[in-house]
Amino acid sequence: MIDLIRKLTEAYGPSGREEEVHNLILQELEGHVDGYKFDNVGNLLVWKAGTTGKKVLFDAHADEIGLVVTNIDERGFLRVESVGGVPPHSYVGHRVRFPNAIGVVYVEGETEEERKKNFTNLNLDNMFVDIGARNRDEAMKVVPIGSFGIYDSHFFKNGDLLISKSMDDRIGCAIIVEILRRVKKPRNTIIGSFTVQEEVGLIGASVAAYSLVPDVCVAVDVTDSSDYPKSFKRHSMALGKGPAIKIKDRASISNRGVVEKLIEVAEQEKIPYQMEVLTFGGTNAAALQRTRAGIPSATVSIATRYVHSPSEIVSLEDVENTVELLINYAGKGV
Amino acid sequence: MDVKELIKELSSLDGPSGYEKAVLELIEKKIEPLVDRVWYNKVGTLIAEKKGTGSGRLGIFAHADEVGYVVTKLEKGLFARLETIGGVDPKVIFAQRVKIYTAKGIAKGIVGVLPPHLQKEEHRSKVPSFDKIFVDLSCSELGEYVSVGDICVVDVKPVELNGKLCGKAMDNRAGCASLILAAQLLRNIRNYQDVYFVFSSQEEVTGLGAVSIAYELRLDRAIVVDVTHGDVKIPQFVQIKTGEGPALCVGPVIDKEFYSKLYQTAQRNNVKIQIEPAPGRSGTDTDEVQLSGTGVRTTLVSIPLMYMHTPVEVVDPRDVEETARLLALATTIE
Amino acid sequence: MYLKELTELDGVSGNEQQVREFISDKIKDKVDELKVDVLGNLIAYRKGTKGGRKIVLAAHMDEVGFMVTNIEDDGTLAFAPVGGVETQVMVGKIVRINGQTLGAIGYKAIHIQDKEQILKPLSIDQLRVYIGAKSKEEAARQVKIGDYVAFTTTFDQENNRLTGKAFDDRAGCSVLMDIIDKIDRYEDDVYFAFLVQEEVGLRGSAVVVEQIHPDIAIVIEGTTAGDDPELPEYQWATHLGDGPAITFMHRGYVVNKRVYESIIEVAEKYSIAHQAKRRTAGGTDAARFARTGAGTAAAVVSVPSRYIHSPVSMIDLNDYNNTVLLLQKILEQGEAFAR
Repeated sequence: MIDLIRKLTEAYGPSGREEEVHNLILQELEGHVDGYKFDNVGNLLVWKAGTTGKKVLFDAHADEIGLVVTNIDERGFLRVESVGGVPPHSYVGHRVRFPNAIGVVYVEGETEEERKKNFTNLNLDNMFVDIGARNRDEAMKVVPIGSFGIYDSHFFKNGDLLISKSMDDRIGCAIIVEILRRVKKPRNTIIGSFTVQEEVGLIGASVAAYSLVPDVCVAVDVTDSSDYPKSFKRHSMALGKGPAIKIKDRASISNRGVVEKLIEVAEQEKIPYQMEVLTFGGTNAAALQRTRAGIPSATVSIATRYVHSPSEIVSLEDVENTVELLINYAGKGV
Repeated sequence: MDVKELIKELSSLDGPSGYEKAVLELIEKKIEPLVDRVWYNKVGTLIAEKKGTGSGRLGIFAHADEVGYVVTKLEKGLFARLETIGGVDPKVIFAQRVKIYTAKGIAKGIVGVLPPHLQKEEHRSKVPSFDKIFVDLSCSELGEYVSVGDICVVDVKPVELNGKLCGKAMDNRAGCASLILAAQLLRNIRNYQDVYFVFSSQEEVTGLGAVSIAYELRLDRAIVVDVTHGDVKIPQFVQIKTGEGPALCVGPVIDKEFYSKLYQTAQRNNVKIQIEPAPGRSGTDTDEVQLSGTGVRTTLVSIPLMYMHTPVEVVDPRDVEETARLLALATTIE
Repeated sequence: MYLKELTELDGVSGNEQQVREFISDKIKDKVDELKVDVLGNLIAYRKGTKGGRKIVLAAHMDEVGFMVTNIEDDGTLAFAPVGGVETQVMVGKIVRINGQTLGAIGYKAIHIQDKEQILKPLSIDQLRVYIGAKSKEEAARQVKIGDYVAFTTTFDQENNRLTGKAFDDRAGCSVLMDIIDKIDRYEDDVYFAFLVQEEVGLRGSAVVVEQIHPDIAIVIEGTTAGDDPELPEYQWATHLGDGPAITFMHRGYVVNKRVYESIIEVAEKYSIAHQAKRRTAGGTDAARFARTGAGTAAAVVSVPSRYIHSPVSMIDLNDYNNTVLLLQKILEQGEAFAR
């Protein structure tokens, strides 16, 4: 599974440009699903048929946050805007990977005073990207306006901890792939949805469940792990405490029935778990639950340190326990 | 049914968004004898149906949920941290008794506050946010059983103030009461349209309850009953008064034709009404109900209320009765 | 081109009937079907020669404006914006209430303002509409709470530039009407959707997908330019005269890659001037089309427009004509989307 996580987290897939991730998932799932399709907005849906007629949908978003090129100056420097919630400070002096180039991100400042000011109030409006082009035309050829970039960052295993960009939400993708590989004969049909554009506006998840109409949806996503120095003081989530069963975040309240069932399954199977209340953010569950006449939905999260940074950290043990919990839930949830 | 007792009874029950069960069960008991059929949809909304003599499908909506709190973290020494469910001003929760629904029963708590003697300028100059607010559970035998994700509400009982009623969750139990009273009036007024009384979940957070059932029922028309700010001057806006009858909303989210029929019905039957403009969205379930499926002709009827989202919300029971009368008459519109 | 007539009509969000009636009247004999839906969207349909695929071209009929929110004792009207209008464009304008009554938004003369007051942005509760009434009763005979208020700017055309109000998005409406006039049939089924309530949260478009179940939607907008001396060139969103603006991403939505690339391909094939929309702020109905029902592959093509969301905006005639041409070619080259 580590190899799967490495491949998925290192793939290129900013919001709206998820093809590479989708292709990789299809490759990894070959022989493990009964069918797949791409819908109108580009979501990848896969399924493995059960025998009960009931359907459980597990969702993970395929996209990651990034930058998009909006202007290029005559000397070939790029101006960028954010794709999803990018913290500009993560990019200062770091590299951004475009499909055909790697750029360095830096900050304007014509005087020491101005530079200091710009560094304290970081804003993409006074930052730029250097791809080594000599002029506008040269830059336009390699990275035309409308090109999307991501963190140029790599996977690293540090003991039980896994470090990479885009654990949000490739770790969810990896978990769902792993579930579909491990479950040979599902009782209930398992649908995997690898949705697009979560980071910009829950676009994919708003329509992903429309055609297959599952009985229940579980979004598998990351959540803030508040177990580092001076981390968010009202959060209780921590690495190694097991899958986090979400009660609420700013965008949704998990369906009470689904939450109770998840807890019941975890207790029965003696799988460690933690409860989660996140004081900001949101997941695809907010959109999935609104499909048609409503679908009971919840989120199961992987506690993750430094979400939206180039080095998001998760615990392998939590990942394994999440796979176990969801495999059991898929069989008993509905 | 005594209107004051009904409102008080509803206000006394606890039902923050997603956890409306107790409230809905009472409503179900009250309304069942008055209608043809009651049922719950998949995401926790209660529907009571009364067939009409003519044609058309009219939904009458009131949300059953209220704002509240959820435990996010436990601190050493039997203290808990909270997150809000819905929009709550931190100023209203200091030095309140609260109830926390644990797996073992209701735990009691007190929201602590620093006495003036120990306050410094930094404390006096700023209202503590929820990052600083805590619940002291040491006064409860069940305190040790409180866990992350448990639902919390302020422990208050409704009181009568010179004929007006004061308590928590009048938003929108007053609305719920008006629907029950309208159902009662339909024993004497025959409804032309098929009427669906909808007691929706989660209005205070996502509007999931209303939007899901509106889609399922494929309504022709909908009246949403909620509350509005009464007896307070909002710059630029006409002042809505308690005791002067429900406010009919005008604006983009209101269907002009249905509004004018409702307005005329009120005029013909001497129902006291007020007019309230909403230049954009109304901030109620109306906004989303209008857009469900292929669209629904919506109107919004609001009961004037003072001190919204505090434990001392005030309504005038005469407004609730007048609203009920308007709703009952609205079911005769062809 | 119908821009003069279209932009001189009042159609603040929620009150689009003047615009709807005008368009309906002009196109009703030219399409196979025409209907007004529950929200007030006007949807015209033209059957394709081949059929099978459904394409929606959409423009919104509504414009930003105001609503009367109170009638004061002195007969003036308190008001609130409908959609995004800033107080800096309100003072010194003539407005029309309810399509009839004229009013003025005035403010204290410069002589009686403090120095520091002059450059201080006004809050809307410092402003009133004066309609010449002396009392609440007199005013209430002509207007009522909830009435819509629109700017009254007239249309003008000179030097290849068009000026007037509400180019966002009457420009799009006019483009759609021109396309209806120009060619009869395309291979695909084409729906022309004239939408309501875009400016108050992309609302009209929310009920279109469940009625049509389209494969592709192209939203035609009058979009921000920002190409003026007060903004450095690298911060411009679009530039007047460079052709229709094609959006790759805006607030809440990355434009479907397949459709985005097809549009660029068509523009390049026919050498139609075009430009990238170079800022991502602001949203359009494309986001709503994408995230409703079974989802739609949605894109945005815009006529660059200076000074939108104010009483007077400006577009370039060539940009307008190239937008019509580009969409015509897109419809003719429908197979470009089939990849």
